[in-house]
Amino acid sequence: MAVTTDELVILCAAGMLVTAYLMVGQKALFVAIRLYAVQSLLLGVVAAAMASTDHRVHLFVSAALTIGLKGALIPWFLMRVIKRIGIHREIEPFVNIPSSLLICLGLTVVGYRVSTGLAEGDRGVTHHVIGVSLSMLLMGLFLMVSRRKAVTQILALLTVENAVFLVAFGATSGMPLVVELGISFDVIVAVLVLGVLVHRIVDRFDSMDVSRLSRLRG
Amino acid sequence: MSVALALSVAAVQAAALFAAAPLLRGGIRKMKAAFQSRQGPPLLQAYSDLWKLLRKEPVRSETASWVFAAGPRLYFATAMAATTLVPVLYAGAPLEQAGGILVLVSLLALGRFSLATASLDTGSPFGGMGSSREMTVGALAEPALMLGLFTVALWGGSLNLGHLVRATSERGPSAHPSELLAAAALFIVLIAEAGRIPVDNPATHLELTMIHEAMVLEYSGPDLALVEWASAVKELLFMTLLANLFLPLGLATSLGPTALALAVAFYAGKVFLLAVAVTLVEVTNAKLRFFRVPELMAVSLGLGFLALAIRFL
Repeated sequence: MAVTTDELVILCAAGMLVTAYLMVGQKALFVAIRLYAVQSLLLGVVAAAMASTDHRVHLFVSAALTIGLKGALIPWFLMRVIKRIGIHREIEPFVNIPSSLLICLGLTVVGYRVSTGLAEGDRGVTHHVIGVSLSMLLMGLFLMVSRRKAVTQILALLTVENAVFLVAFGATSGMPLVVELGISFDVIVAVLVLGVLVHRIVDRFDSMDVSRLSRLRG
Repeated sequence: MSVALALSVAAVQAAALFAAAPLLRGGIRKMKAAFQSRQGPPLLQAYSDLWKLLRKEPVRSETASWVFAAGPRLYFATAMAATTLVPVLYAGAPLEQAGGILVLVSLLALGRFSLATASLDTGSPFGGMGSSREMTVGALAEPALMLGLFTVALWGGSLNLGHLVRATSERGPSAHPSELLAAAALFIVLIAEAGRIPVDNPATHLELTMIHEAMVLEYSGPDLALVEWASAVKELLFMTLLANLFLPLGLATSLGPTALALAVAFYAGKVFLLAVAVTLVEVTNAKLRFFRVPELMAVSLGLGFLALAIRFL
């Protein structure tokens, strides 16, 4: 019962969906960050698996970048941010957890349903990969609008970004290396800037609640 | 399989699972202690505890009726009946003619019902609180369990666990995302049903946090031994289900000695890995506030539903 590459890719994609779902399902910020790290590691495995079967060497670089930056560096940085500002929980999301889960169920069904309309590639994994990443994209967008804490919103943005990369690795033959490097460094810079922004928000309001930003007057 | 053979295999399997279940409890306790840099109780402590309890005289409240005494016995009996419906080493359950997933789930529900009613019987506030909590968690865990099992049943094409395991081991893994979603849902159900840490804490007797322990607080001696033993078997049963339905690797297809020895090794390895996973969850998480447990169960239910829905898309 050897696991083929296609099965491994599908398994990892499903694992990413589970982590996204678990991220919606709980409030502790450090657990959410750990889940994001796991999600990025799974994405790295997808990239490495694709690279080794299709002999696309530049995908190995992408896999290493994904695992190193998104699986280790960004989670470490975000952990540092929440440790420094001492805020550990999403207290009151705009939508409570059971309803968020229900909404995400609906979003996943939508994402999967839409992906059935797309042409299936010769590997037979395209349907699942696109389904999972569309669902993750929708869940990330939903997470972004339904949570108050700035760190959760950063994680939601990163989830969306992972979803896009999943399609790039799993369903297409990968982006050119230059583009991938560019995106990776954009993501790091974005996270760094957002980290600083979180510090500024906390300094001003003693809270990470972004809804208070609307009270700022010039 | 003839009826006499099936019955004797069922008896052997039930006895083996009942003999192994305390070892699982002890093993998890030992691993947890190792993670916390403690020595922990000896591996076989759970057996000594059961032996000690079984020799004691049961103390029952004067106001207790027959329901109180019947509860643990029925709970034990349902656990024993459930063990005969699950494939453990051989690709097929000993009493698979008797029923499949639905019977298994109803047997477990019957066990929970009998224990919950029995603990209400003495009228002690703890019993009532415990059974109300147990039923709350159970009401959320049961649908998730059924959704997870149905997802596997769709791939195997049968609700009968024996047929199901034979079909999945013949056709190989389905390589479908729903498989992993269902496994994740069932893993959360396993944690809830076994009373492990994010849901319940098996090591505490603190009034306001306990669920299972509050329910069986009134029991002592052999009654308590039956409850504890059956709970351990239930935990092992869930792990067996998870291991054999999602990874039907190394199940014996004949009853020869080498095939069975290999199956024992595979089974022990799979259960050990699950036990490590459960221990890791116990060590790295804090117990959830009771009112947040439904959120965790909603995640499990959602994953189960998603698994089933994706199957059709």
